[in-house]
Amino acid sequence: MDEAVFVSALLAAGIRLAAPIALAALGETLAQRSGVINVGLEGIMLVGAFVAVLMAVQTQSPWIGLAGAIFCGAAMGALHAYFSVILKVEQIVTGIALLFLGMGLSGYGYRLTIGMSGSPVAVPGFRPLDLFGLSDLPVVGAVLFGQHALVYLTLVAAALMAWMFRATRLGIMIKAAGEYPVAAAAAGIDVDRIRLACVTVGGAFAGAAGAFLSTAHLWGFVENMTAGRGFLAIACVVFARWKPWLAVAVALVFGIADASQIRIQSVLPMVPYQFFVIVPYMLAIVALAFGSGRNGMPAALGTPFTRHS
Amino acid sequence: MVTAASRKLPAFAAIGFALLLVVGAILLAGADPLALAGSVVQRALLTNAGFLEALLRAIPLTIMGLGIALAFRARIFNIGMDGQLIAGSVAAVALAPWLPGGPVGMLAFLVIGLAGGAFWGGVAGVIKARFGGNEIISTIMLNYVAIQILSWLVRGPMQEKMRIIPRSDPIDASLRLPVLFEGTRIHAGLIVVVIVVALSAAVVARGRFGFKLAVVGQNPDAAHYAGISPSGVAGIVLAISGGLAGLAGAVEISGVYGRLQEGFAPGFGISAIAVALVARLNPLLVPVSALGFSLLYAGLGSVAQKGMVPFPMINIIESAIILVFLAGSTIAIRSGRAKEV
Repeated sequence: MDEAVFVSALLAAGIRLAAPIALAALGETLAQRSGVINVGLEGIMLVGAFVAVLMAVQTQSPWIGLAGAIFCGAAMGALHAYFSVILKVEQIVTGIALLFLGMGLSGYGYRLTIGMSGSPVAVPGFRPLDLFGLSDLPVVGAVLFGQHALVYLTLVAAALMAWMFRATRLGIMIKAAGEYPVAAAAAGIDVDRIRLACVTVGGAFAGAAGAFLSTAHLWGFVENMTAGRGFLAIACVVFARWKPWLAVAVALVFGIADASQIRIQSVLPMVPYQFFVIVPYMLAIVALAFGSGRNGMPAALGTPFTRHS
Repeated sequence: MVTAASRKLPAFAAIGFALLLVVGAILLAGADPLALAGSVVQRALLTNAGFLEALLRAIPLTIMGLGIALAFRARIFNIGMDGQLIAGSVAAVALAPWLPGGPVGMLAFLVIGLAGGAFWGGVAGVIKARFGGNEIISTIMLNYVAIQILSWLVRGPMQEKMRIIPRSDPIDASLRLPVLFEGTRIHAGLIVVVIVVALSAAVVARGRFGFKLAVVGQNPDAAHYAGISPSGVAGIVLAISGGLAGLAGAVEISGVYGRLQEGFAPGFGISAIAVALVARLNPLLVPVSALGFSLLYAGLGSVAQKGMVPFPMINIIESAIILVFLAGSTIAIRSGRAKEV
């Protein structure tokens, strides 16, 4: 029974740690399917994390914080879209600029506002739900019914996105923009507009992911608190072969790895803790080595669309 | 038809946005943008201390900027130079006790740093060349791994004998790069910079390898037909780029700090990206760009210390500079000429 309790707690924590990565990965899946890579996710997540805390503190509502983070995430996504889709410059470089911008804006804003006093501020964060009153159910309760609202919304988003790609006109148009933009344009699809929308919505997802970190996971903002999760999310998209459900599944693997390393630290105090902290990163490196490939990669990913090319 | 000309207006709009962003951020902090700019310039250019501080900082930044420039020419995006710098520094300091004193030891110290960084970059290189794994993700992940390993080393096996502060014992004085100008901290790393700039420029301008970088960067398909393996080039350039980061780390330790400690070159790898981009990936312009950014750092650092604006302003300015640069490059494009970067 003890093992079952341990596994249940581990899974519940793993899901909590996976949620922000999954959210960001879903947004990136959408953007990349339309043909635009955004390596600035980490920067957007940082801004989302900061804005969520700031607005939650000011309005005493984590939901308004989340809304603010989604809005700012969308704005940064739109900025990336403006440069990569309208100006058609190198997407990777714009993404790097976005990373700097996110680091700067979140750190700067934090020091000007809640970080000013130097003492921690009470953040009205999200609490885990208690769906149908079943979260106290032994073993499965915390895992299935005791997660944050955003976790369930993530699953809904993944389902909607998978359905959209499989069965809707919009999904086909997005895939066409990412696979074969010239043909898509010939068929009357406005490739640039599709990409603008997808990258902007992708940014909104990353903003929400940041909000989850700072209002559901940690209840506070720390500079550079994303600690590479934005890049883990991009890795998820690659391993998941650009499929929404698989992206969530891969994020879950990272989340569980992270939750395990935190627990093993206390079990094996003689091993330096740094060795456990690197586990998720090492996992990503190993997965990158053995899980990479161009299978499923949108053919026009990373190339700006110009009509006469 | 989307032409370069029709993108001019959006490009100017983007430049306007970037400038507004910076000005807006300064105003939000309750500072006067003009006065702030004035004191940044004043501190950076018109005081000896500010200029010397900038020059000192430009030494590692130039070396790393060259590493970024070489890789980016092949469209290989190494954003893990911070980790490679740590790997090089750790290797050099770890082997330092066995090195002979004097110029030979000093040179060996730098070469070991270079090798350590090349190894760390090479891991990402192998993942890219052998498995096609995205180098942006692997280099970033390797950053976090390197930071944690350094944290363990300076608290564990490599900690100083006194075991108080998380740092190593100082390296032997005979391994320290000598100060070049009496009364300053400007050290012989400046000579290393001159050599590396010259070598990189020669490689880019004349070398077969420089040609390969350009072909791979501009048209990987053509590279295939020309018998150049893009993945092979990617692997090698990641190792070279990492090697330069490691060299920069060894130069910093030998020239400035004298020992290993955490966070001794914070964010240099990221700044180096901005340095290389603004230099248009031209090795000869990298030192100029590096000095420019270093002056900005020195000036802004002192302004931030006085509490005029918080220090992360530097990241906002860096991103604005890159965005302006990107937008500017679309304005500069003539019809028929392929875009750079």
